[in-house]
Amino acid sequence: MIEVRDLVKKYGSHKAVDGVTFSVARGELFGLLGPNGAGKTTTIGVLSTLLHADGGQVRIGGHDVAAGAKEVRRLIGVVPQEIALYTDLTARDNLMFWGRLHGLGGAALGKRVEELLVMADLVDAARRKVETYSGGMQRRLNLVAGLIHEPEVLFLDEPTVGIDAQARSRILELIAQLGRQGLTVIYTTHYLEEAEQLCDRIGVIDRGRLVALGDKESLISQIGDADLIRLSLPADRHEAFRAAGAGWPGCTGIGERRGKLEVRTPDGGRLLPVIQEWLRANDLPLEQLEIERPNLETLYLTLTGRGLREDAP
Amino acid sequence: MTRAWVFARRDLKRMAADRRALVVNVALPLALTAVMGLSFGGGVFGKKGISAIPVAIVAEDVPESMRTRLLEGLEKSGFFAPVWADSLAADTLVRNGKVAAALVLPDDPLTAFFRADSLVVEVWKDPSSDIKAGIVEEIVGRGVLRVQAGEAAFRALWPDDYMTIGADSLGLDGLLEGDVTDIWTRLRDPGQTAARERAFDFLVRQFDHQVALQRALQGAAAGLAVADKVPTGQEEQRETSLFDYFLPSFAVFFLMFAVAAGARDLHRERARRTLQRQLLGPGPAWPIVVGKWIASVAQGLVMLSVLLGVGALLFRVNLGPDPWTLPIVIVLTCTAAAGFFLALALLVSREKVLDNLCTAVILVSGMIGGNFLPVDNLPPWAAGAGRYVFNYWANLSFSRVIGGNEGLSGIATPLLVLAGASLVLLVVILVLFNARVKRGGWA
Ligand SMILES: Nc1ncnc2c1ncn2[C@@H]1O[C@H](COP(=O)(O)OP(=O)(O)OP(=O)(O)O)[C@@H](O)[C@H]1O
Ligand SMILES: [Mg+2]
Repeated sequence: MIEVRDLVKKYGSHKAVDGVTFSVARGELFGLLGPNGAGKTTTIGVLSTLLHADGGQVRIGGHDVAAGAKEVRRLIGVVPQEIALYTDLTARDNLMFWGRLHGLGGAALGKRVEELLVMADLVDAARRKVETYSGGMQRRLNLVAGLIHEPEVLFLDEPTVGIDAQARSRILELIAQLGRQGLTVIYTTHYLEEAEQLCDRIGVIDRGRLVALGDKESLISQIGDADLIRLSLPADRHEAFRAAGAGWPGCTGIGERRGKLEVRTPDGGRLLPVIQEWLRANDLPLEQLEIERPNLETLYLTLTGRGLREDAP
Repeated sequence: MTRAWVFARRDLKRMAADRRALVVNVALPLALTAVMGLSFGGGVFGKKGISAIPVAIVAEDVPESMRTRLLEGLEKSGFFAPVWADSLAADTLVRNGKVAAALVLPDDPLTAFFRADSLVVEVWKDPSSDIKAGIVEEIVGRGVLRVQAGEAAFRALWPDDYMTIGADSLGLDGLLEGDVTDIWTRLRDPGQTAARERAFDFLVRQFDHQVALQRALQGAAAGLAVADKVPTGQEEQRETSLFDYFLPSFAVFFLMFAVAAGARDLHRERARRTLQRQLLGPGPAWPIVVGKWIASVAQGLVMLSVLLGVGALLFRVNLGPDPWTLPIVIVLTCTAAAGFFLALALLVSREKVLDNLCTAVILVSGMIGGNFLPVDNLPPWAAGAGRYVFNYWANLSFSRVIGGNEGLSGIATPLLVLAGASLVLLVVILVLFNARVKRGGWA
């Protein structure tokens, strides 16, 4: 359904997207995971025909986004990262407008608007101005406004940013429901959890480059099934720990993050007793020791050497 | 065009929901007009603009029937709210500021009339009092001048009669002394036949001449300063009121702000990403900006129509000689304004810059375009520069139609300029907007 090849988009000399290649099958829920400034929005911008690529090719439903922009626009629905709504109008007026924009009218438009209001759970609030809505309500309306013309492909650009956990889970539910209905979705986020929970396949993007691509399992296997053992030590003992660790069997690396030492190993179960032994020998407490099975966060760390976002859940 | 209407309709809905804008765009110009108009004369119940000035009339020797006519004449002029007073009372009224001035007719005006003595009307006013007393003095002064002109004409036309006019030389001795009853009694006295005939002859000639003069001067009634102000046969001519100037110039001034806000909305929509979302719709992009233009024009139309309509009701602002001239001026003013500010918005990349630019442009063009000074009173350099701003031509049209009661033919030039500017600006908008869409510059 979507094919992106060697996509390049520059702002001046700065490459916001630098040679990204991926494809999304019909009905697939694809996650684009990356921190701030990674190039997610820029990628969506090119895919949705708003931005012109400086290199590479993008085809959606068989149409080139540059040459066949008209056809592409008919296929896609876009939910921008911002609340792109008229907050001085009601939810219903907003949906009516976006519907008319897409050439809907009459009874068909009325029916579609009511459907979407139900879907967004905004029926009771439909007559209120959007500016009086909570963040979650605005996000839900922002989302369904992208569905007004029943697109086959939906681009969701961080649809859960800036709202509380409860409101977020409602939106995730909504998107999962859309996925089950067969919509092709590209979902950008910097929340690892969301991508893990929601998406069939995930592309990890950083500084304009796609650093990993695949389904969850294959991504994790890319970092060699690494387990992560975390422990807190007084700062003056870090050196000693690193020195000892270098000799342990199965220890593939020792890093540091947020004041904690992180030990990578293919088999945490075997290395753990060795570390406990060392701690005991050095009169250090054992309570702080924790072992983490591989997930996207570790993957991300491995790939980029940076955390995703400090406030990630 | 139907697509453009989809966008325009949305903006109109938003504008209608915006109560604050409603207050700023309609109530504020009206309030300002009221304040300015009232403080420079005129009133909600004013007659043709300037409110009636209270004056005291001292005319102790004038017969009752003549008083009534004088009173009616003064009131009908619309300039005065007269009250009768004796000289003592009038003095007090003036000193207390209860009246702007007192008009004092001479003692025994009838005799003065028959003797052809010049009629001296005194004006009493408090020298420190406001301009209204000055206005009274000016009006009466003009009346006196008019009478003097009549006298000069009399002298030139009928020198013999003027020379012999002295009642004594006619041997009318005492015949015309006293009030009407006295004169009547004396004239009816059978022993006075010769004198009566001479008096009759004299009177008839005087009346002949007076009537001839009155006709020549369009009905100037000798000695009545105010009668002079209602020239018979010229009732059609309108009195221009200050509201006629203030209302349209405030309306155009505020129109510029309203339309500038509409143009700024283009940048707001970009920041909020609603613009990009619209660009994702099917079909060409130009209806988006044309829709904004239509909404701006429609908002301006409503604003100006309401302002002038309410102005006509409240302040008796003139709406022109026919029902189509003013609407055409309004439409072309709005199309030019919408085009101008949208073009400005499209030339500027950021909202903040546009904001400051708009304010500066509105103030400067308000100054050189005649929103702070009537177009006809602009200093030459300003009027010269004003030619390059649309509001100059709008103000010019409004002042000709509202102030000068001129029809379409009288304002052909400013209307053509406005229409031409509207068209050119609309094309500029379309070109600029489309170019930016092609560049991907709105993302
Ligand atoms: N209009 C622009 N002009 C110049 N640089 C831009 C522009 N838009 C984005 N960038 C830069 O391009 C890079 C990618 O930005 P982009 O918005 O695509 O990131 P993102 O992954 O969506 O980030 P976020 O999570 O903050 O939304 C960033 O370095 C950003 O500063
Ligand atoms: Mg983004």
